[in-house]
Amino acid sequence: MSHDHRHDPAKDDGPPSEHEILSRALQEVLEEKGLVTAERVRKRMELFEAEFPQRGSRVIAHAWANPAFRKRLLADGKAACAEWGLDLEADRLIAVENTPHVHNVIVCTLCSCYPRALLGMPPTWYKSENYRRRVVREPRAVLREFGTVIPDDVSIRVHDSNADMRYVVVPMRPKGTEGWDEEQLAAILTRDTLVGVALPRV
Amino acid sequence: MTPSATPSAYTPAPERRFNVGDGVRVKSVSPPGHRRTPAYVRGKKGEIERVCGRFPNPEELAYGFDGEPRRVLYRVRFRQTDVWPAYESRTEDFIEMEIYEHWLEPA
Amino acid sequence: MNRNPADIGGEAAGPIDPVDHGMKFWEKQANALRNTLTSGKLVRLDELRRAAEELGDRYYRLGYFERTTEAMRNLLLEKGLITRSELEEKIEEIRRRYDS
Repeated sequence: MSHDHRHDPAKDDGPPSEHEILSRALQEVLEEKGLVTAERVRKRMELFEAEFPQRGSRVIAHAWANPAFRKRLLADGKAACAEWGLDLEADRLIAVENTPHVHNVIVCTLCSCYPRALLGMPPTWYKSENYRRRVVREPRAVLREFGTVIPDDVSIRVHDSNADMRYVVVPMRPKGTEGWDEEQLAAILTRDTLVGVALPRV
Repeated sequence: MTPSATPSAYTPAPERRFNVGDGVRVKSVSPPGHRRTPAYVRGKKGEIERVCGRFPNPEELAYGFDGEPRRVLYRVRFRQTDVWPAYESRTEDFIEMEIYEHWLEPA
Repeated sequence: MNRNPADIGGEAAGPIDPVDHGMKFWEKQANALRNTLTSGKLVRLDELRRAAEELGDRYYRLGYFERTTEAMRNLLLEKGLITRSELEEKIEEIRRRYDS
């Protein structure tokens, strides 16, 4: 049984905190009892690091480029992704589209539910108590703190992912992207635009 | 209904109580324990935006039970002005979330 | 009256730090461990959430991964998947490893 995670001082940032030690202890005890393997944990880490964060911008870029896919994505996000070859694992995806009249923004007030298999790990601000407290009650002011100004005549729709569904925003495709290929489109679909706190910029 | 090979975000819920467009009110109860209905919408009136399907009850899963029988889950849309007394906006803004059927009454 | 410390939507709060500060290595590993446990069905995500809520006042004093790690510990002990003495011995062993 390999324990290479025990000796990686290059990856540690200074002396370990109490919780870092606790986390390692939990993992090692579970490994020794045969309940998890280091290999499995390592593979999950790789998925979260390398695979999941790439997906969201590619899916939404494809929706921008392909109206039939967009329609299917909006009808049933998980099924559309599955047809496209993307397994979202446990995430049941609902895609919500921005229009000239509606801007969408996502939160999980109760914890940090987030479409991880599509976007990777949520950013620290998404998990922060102040985002969870305020975006449901004053979304316009919160968006301004992110440097995003939503015009007064555009309605805001906040989605609190409090149960079994996970959400992604389909931003409006900006002017100046005509004729762009999907790779170029994906490059402006940053994570923040897919959660709704930013708008794609050409 | 034959199960699809392509997993969906939704499951069937033919014996549900509410349909899209129905007015509903979230129960104003404060039971202890694990609940996924946020306090800020309890007692508030909204409308069914979509039917998500039937899922094991998280309030029971949280304590090691299997959550069966499944409960119907809906997306409910609330007007922000119905949720927050001081909400100000030129536009009609909304907040949407998933609420289990047993938390809803007709309104 | 909110008894659940996680049920905070709508509460008054200060500014949000809009910068993503990422994750330390141990946090990525803790997250992968958590995910391995839930996908392997050893624990349920709902149980982990409930365990975090049961931290009570401590909930607000801990950072995100500190919270999820303590919740994981409490749940694993509750379910008897690990014992307190196994855990304490392992923590001691790891501390010695870092001291040497």
